[in-house]
Amino acid sequence: MLAYTIRRVLISVPVLLGSTILVFIMVKLSGDPLESIKLRNPPPPPQTIKLEEHRLGLDQSWPLQYWNWLKGLVLHGNFGAAVQPSDNIGSEIGSHLWVTMRLVFFSVLIALILAIITGVLSAVKQYSALDYTTTFFGFLFLSMPVFWFAVLLKSWGIWYNQNVSANTFYTIGDKSVVLENDTTWGHITDVAGHMVLPTIVLGLAGYAGWTRFTRASMLEVLNSDHVRLARAKGLRSRKVLVRHALRNALIPLTTVTALDIAALLGGAILTETVFQWQGMGALFVQSLRDKDAHLMMGWLLVSATIVILFNLIADLLYGVLDPRIRHA
Amino acid sequence: MRTTKGLFGLVAVGVASLLAVSACGGGSGSSTGGGDTSSSFADCATKPLTCNSGTTKQGGTVTYTIEKTISGWNLNSAESNTFDFQEVLDGVLPQGPFINTPDLQPTLNSDLMVSAEQTSTSPQTIVYKINPNASWNDGTPINADDFTYMWKTNNGVDCKTCDPASTAGYDQIQTVTGSDNGKTVTVVFKTPYTDWKGLFGPMYPAHIANQHGDLGASWKWLNDNQPTYSGGPYVITGYQKDASVTETPNPKWFGKTKPSLEKLVFRIITDQNQEVPALQNNEVQTIYPQANADIINQVKQINGVQYMLGKGLQWEHLDLNLKNPLMADTKLRQAIFTTIDRKQLISKTVGQFDPGITPLNNHNFMPNMDGYKDVISSTGQGTGDVAKAKSLLTGAGYTGVGTALKSPSGAPVQFRCSFTQGNVLRQQSCELFQTELQALGIKVTPTPITSLGDTLSSGDYDMIIFAWVQTPFIFSGAYQTWLSTSSSNYGHWTNSQSDALLKDAAQNTDHAKAVQDLNDADQIMANDAYVLPLFQKPTFLAAYSNIVNIRDDATSTGPPYNVQEWGMRAS
Repeated sequence: MLAYTIRRVLISVPVLLGSTILVFIMVKLSGDPLESIKLRNPPPPPQTIKLEEHRLGLDQSWPLQYWNWLKGLVLHGNFGAAVQPSDNIGSEIGSHLWVTMRLVFFSVLIALILAIITGVLSAVKQYSALDYTTTFFGFLFLSMPVFWFAVLLKSWGIWYNQNVSANTFYTIGDKSVVLENDTTWGHITDVAGHMVLPTIVLGLAGYAGWTRFTRASMLEVLNSDHVRLARAKGLRSRKVLVRHALRNALIPLTTVTALDIAALLGGAILTETVFQWQGMGALFVQSLRDKDAHLMMGWLLVSATIVILFNLIADLLYGVLDPRIRHA
Repeated sequence: MRTTKGLFGLVAVGVASLLAVSACGGGSGSSTGGGDTSSSFADCATKPLTCNSGTTKQGGTVTYTIEKTISGWNLNSAESNTFDFQEVLDGVLPQGPFINTPDLQPTLNSDLMVSAEQTSTSPQTIVYKINPNASWNDGTPINADDFTYMWKTNNGVDCKTCDPASTAGYDQIQTVTGSDNGKTVTVVFKTPYTDWKGLFGPMYPAHIANQHGDLGASWKWLNDNQPTYSGGPYVITGYQKDASVTETPNPKWFGKTKPSLEKLVFRIITDQNQEVPALQNNEVQTIYPQANADIINQVKQINGVQYMLGKGLQWEHLDLNLKNPLMADTKLRQAIFTTIDRKQLISKTVGQFDPGITPLNNHNFMPNMDGYKDVISSTGQGTGDVAKAKSLLTGAGYTGVGTALKSPSGAPVQFRCSFTQGNVLRQQSCELFQTELQALGIKVTPTPITSLGDTLSSGDYDMIIFAWVQTPFIFSGAYQTWLSTSSSNYGHWTNSQSDALLKDAAQNTDHAKAVQDLNDADQIMANDAYVLPLFQKPTFLAAYSNIVNIRDDATSTGPPYNVQEWGMRAS
């Protein structure tokens, strides 16, 4: 298992390097990060432009710029200078990742619980009214654009607030700037009020796909020989369902969930934009807007590492869920 | 079955708990009712300095929206010299001897200054008398040291590692001398500088800067560190990175009007589409986004919110690139500009949400600025007069007029019309030009570009549409934008007579003469059909009607120019 893990980690290093090179070239080709300064009226003095170019390393050739970035990262853990001068890319990624993690954690929790419950029930009660209902809602959430759903949910939240004459739901940020009820309970309710709408948006988007996976997987397992055997042996249906069927059915869901969580941590871009959460999605947008190659490479490195890590976790979890699977 | 019910129950209890917990949140109250839109802003066009005035009551919080995350705190630095950061610091830093007020004029900052007058024209000498009570919030007087620090860090000479947004004016100063315990400052210029009222603002505390190294080091320190100092009505007491800046009244504020608000919050919303829902949900109380039809229509639906459309300092224009051999012909350029119908362009774009927009007829002064003179109408440009344009081309020896235009040398006349990708307004404009110029037999291809800066500096365009942002201090700006040798003169139009007039306008001690010189230079450029001004872009301010003394200021200072006067309406 350890050798397998080490091998997987080592294989990922050239993948990460290759992707940073690709992203570096793409960002460089997208334009000049100093464009907004150069286009000012009146224009800044040439010395100012030169100082900025030097600070960002733009006065060097592309290969040298990339090499210096890589050297700084490996030797000093430095992600390079950001276009926005007060930003430290390392701490920026850290703080943005934390914001996204909070959002993703609760969304995934809700989505997984709902997906497993409805998926199992749909499979057990195949072609029943319950199955058709969950299928309908599954496809509904699957087909709804996240951006549109988020805007719609915001409107509902505002409508609700206006009807109860209280700010129950918030539409921007992860907490209020000014809190009237400045107590621990006040802080908890404030954070919860900010989390409800984006969590529902992100959670339902994940739920829709996962419930279909669970249903399909459960149906396959429920029709397998070992489940029939378990029933024939006279085991209680709850025990058959949970211990023999669900455990096996969770294996494909584990893969999908692990990859989806990794993708979400890389940036739930649309949800974060609509609700103005300063997470990884916002950081990605900022790096694009600023044409900031260092920031984009840092973002990519962290996001790609998370994807690889969760991929690895999924592989390792197979062994836990099904002892027959062994990693040689 | 029992299990199922249990699980459903658990989920239901969980969701209900989450809703219940959030419902107990200490919000700032519901939206106010009323539905009176724009009533208080109605007279802003005629009374820009006093509209929406009112008596305030003590207390309350106003949250104002900005659209950029804070990248630095030194507003004089090129990196941090942006409109949004300026707004945040309007109430924290002394804005300078003169304030850019909503009438687009530099007005003496009577809180900071007793007087600021030109006492000699040769050499040009300005004497600033600082309010004896003016001090930073640590009690240190605001004095000549602060002026000297600003001069030395912005003149491009004394500080080699400083990156000022502009050295204009500071590089023409000979000496800055303090007297009267530093409360009188005498500035002597090497060469006259017409826009002297635009200098020395916003101001930073020299005594604090000096504690953090030499000029270069302190300059960087001022940019990297959130101000705890203040020389204005408010002091920053909270900063949540990428989210908000919170300000509370500065107890040492020396100005005439003391702030009545308990807190002033600048909320960062980077996607302007999210500003209206936040306003509707009363999470912010005032927004200042770029005007568009969607936003205006949404704001109109919100009860208790008033709004105004103002005349901004940003103006759209169509530029021709004279590096293209065909464009080098003045007659062709004149024909192109004459064919374009600006009224039609406006009615099909911005006129749909702001019927007050009219064609702009000057390249420097806006219609709501002193000095504005129409230099375009007499040329016939922008009128859509196809017959006149055709006769210009026929007279100049062009063939295929109205079908497939060819130059006198036989070259087919076809151009790209470049616009920034994703900018619908500019795309529509280029498509309209395409249709209009077809009447002359000119083939125009609308061409999206990804980088406006790269396209302009490389000169890889034939026609291009973009915007400039003016300031009330236009003389130095015009000199740097239109001079034959300027790097901002992207289309490479050259004219020695215009250059002389531009220089004279920028280096003059007689303001009236400077205005005349600049308009004369502008007339020469207009006659040569180099850049066609299209229209002045509107500004849009929306605020709850219980907030008084807030009004539009289209200059780089923004609506918070008078932030100490903002407050909750006294009933």
